[in-house]
Amino acid sequence: MIVLILAITSVIIIIANSIYAIPSLVTYSSIGRFGEVGYYASQPMPNVPPGLLVRVFLINGSVVEPVRAFIDVYANAPSGIVHVSMGYSLTLTVPFSNANWQYVIGRWASLGIPFSDYETSMLIFITYVRGNESWIVPLVIPYNVGWVIKNSRYIVVDALINVNELRPNEVVPAMPGITSVNLQIPSNHSDYTTYNCNLNAPNHRQKTTFKPEIACLGFNGSLPTAWVTWDKDVVQRDQGVEFQLIAGFVGMNRWNAMAAGYGDIGTSYSAEENWALGFYPVVFGSEVAQFGPAYWVTQPGSVYWYYGGATWAIVNYTVWFVNSSMGTYHLGNATVFEVLCVPPNDHYIGMVLDYGNGSVSLLYYLASKHYLEYPSSIVNYAAFIYTGQEYLYQCNGLVINASTPWGTVYVMPPGVETAYGLSPAQLGTTLTSLSLGSGGLGMPPPQTSTSVASTYIEIGGITDGVNLYVSVVDVSGVYGLPTYVFILNATNFYGNPTTYTCKYGKVTQIG
Amino acid sequence: MAVRFLLWFYVGFVLVSFASSLWLLLSSVLTVTPISLPYWLLYTPGNIVAAGVVVAALMLVLYAYLGVVLVLGKLSRGFVPIIMVIAFVIGFALLLARLAIPALIMIIIAYVMLIGAYAVLISVATTRASKALWGVATIILTLIPPILVGGGLAVIYYVKYMAIIEQATAIMASAVEAWKLGVGGG
Repeated sequence: MIVLILAITSVIIIIANSIYAIPSLVTYSSIGRFGEVGYYASQPMPNVPPGLLVRVFLINGSVVEPVRAFIDVYANAPSGIVHVSMGYSLTLTVPFSNANWQYVIGRWASLGIPFSDYETSMLIFITYVRGNESWIVPLVIPYNVGWVIKNSRYIVVDALINVNELRPNEVVPAMPGITSVNLQIPSNHSDYTTYNCNLNAPNHRQKTTFKPEIACLGFNGSLPTAWVTWDKDVVQRDQGVEFQLIAGFVGMNRWNAMAAGYGDIGTSYSAEENWALGFYPVVFGSEVAQFGPAYWVTQPGSVYWYYGGATWAIVNYTVWFVNSSMGTYHLGNATVFEVLCVPPNDHYIGMVLDYGNGSVSLLYYLASKHYLEYPSSIVNYAAFIYTGQEYLYQCNGLVINASTPWGTVYVMPPGVETAYGLSPAQLGTTLTSLSLGSGGLGMPPPQTSTSVASTYIEIGGITDGVNLYVSVVDVSGVYGLPTYVFILNATNFYGNPTTYTCKYGKVTQIG
Repeated sequence: MAVRFLLWFYVGFVLVSFASSLWLLLSSVLTVTPISLPYWLLYTPGNIVAAGVVVAALMLVLYAYLGVVLVLGKLSRGFVPIIMVIAFVIGFALLLARLAIPALIMIIIAYVMLIGAYAVLISVATTRASKALWGVATIILTLIPPILVGGGLAVIYYVKYMAIIEQATAIMASAVEAWKLGVGGG
């Protein structure tokens, strides 16, 4: 009889899990080396309102243990960030009903974009103090506005503070406001405007011994989706060379937040995108010609396709410990670069030249100021060198040539990136888990989203005397923008690399 | 007679299923509850896989026991679950060694043998109810691979629900058998 009762109980639990009567893991992802987030679908549990739950774990060698820390939560709104909740504890819970979060949800809802088309995020800073050292972990946790409105998810964040991997800050006596970083950007800019993106919350923060300060510099304007940058030698030595930057995307596009010194800290905004851009030639010349649907460029700079009306932010977070008996201490700071909102792209997409005052120049400027890094992940090289005979050197990857009505053009990289497949190993483990009962433990099914992206450059007008070095750079790891960038030089590849493999000489002789 | 010893297979099957579903209930509910928990208790994929490995290992021990009991009872069909256990163990080992294709081949052999083991369980079942329940489980187990291979990820949710029904019927079949044998055998 007992066996029957146990069996019936087991079946009830398995069914309850499958119909989300109890929390069932829907998706799960790692956030760099700094955390994990699980999304649990469930009916609201008694006394546990759905919302965000942050747990803090200290990693010291092989030991992982819950630890008390200062947890500070902000919600990203379409145009800025709003403080939501904070506390010094092992866990912090923020129900969807939190008034400040609801205020932000109202801002998103007022945009009128269907909730299924995008995901926004929460920005969380966790500060752990031990002795005269402190560690700050910034995390960005994506979520869907629809979940908040339907009260239908538990978002559980495990923040992982690895004291052996993360660089500690020195806890020093200092008064608030003295060491906060000044976010200065070039005053001469045309493709975006700047503003204070630290938005007031309806409910002000309570006073605690931890005093966080936020400086939020907002940008509103043209967010680059793909670009080409060239130096002054190219303009001088490669006149007559022309190129077209062609890009296409179908699927869910993800913009990742980057924190200075940390790298990728999670997706701050993602949206369904569907666009194809191109067929607008850019020509290097000695003067700006007045004919043809082309951009004539006469000075070093960039040209980029952009999403218009986008918003992004640099958030500088500083935290202090303020106690009347123990004194006041500066615990540390963190700087986050994140995309807040990209409007649906149907009407807001275009191409623009950037001679030092546009959004691409801003990214390079932020790299020079160490808010971001310079791109370094080069995925492909090609050189076009014409010395009596025309040679194309292909390095690290392919270049194809194609005949067009306007002459021969060279396309790099020629491939189209795409993804999804179920590998034999995945299939094997799926079948195994299903057959032996682990499937009933509630493993989330594999994600089924598919996206297709392509970004390439077509280069034409290769004639006598041309020296053109093209470097294809993946900038997603430094700017969080999901794109490739092409950097053109006349004397060497970008970054003067010492190790690359070219098919010297052999390569297609094309003259 | 071997049937007496089969009781412990059925009891074990129900107990392991109960323990895993109890872990599922506790871990999932506690994970979303704002109380401090040790990391290993959280309902995360890493911990789910760890729990799954423990459940799978216990199930394999039970199937090995089933096979031995049947073989000792002069029923040579007991070799079916024994071969299944050996094939699964080799398949897992190959998977850990990152030899995906040989691992897949072994796991497919093991899977076919698992279907065979279910057929063996039908043949030794003593009640109509448990025969029918094992039968449903066997049919689902047989249908899952072609559906998964044919439909890919698009049908993963249907497959998940089929697997849940399969588990539920297998647990209930074991419980009915355990109850019957426990009552009948004293």
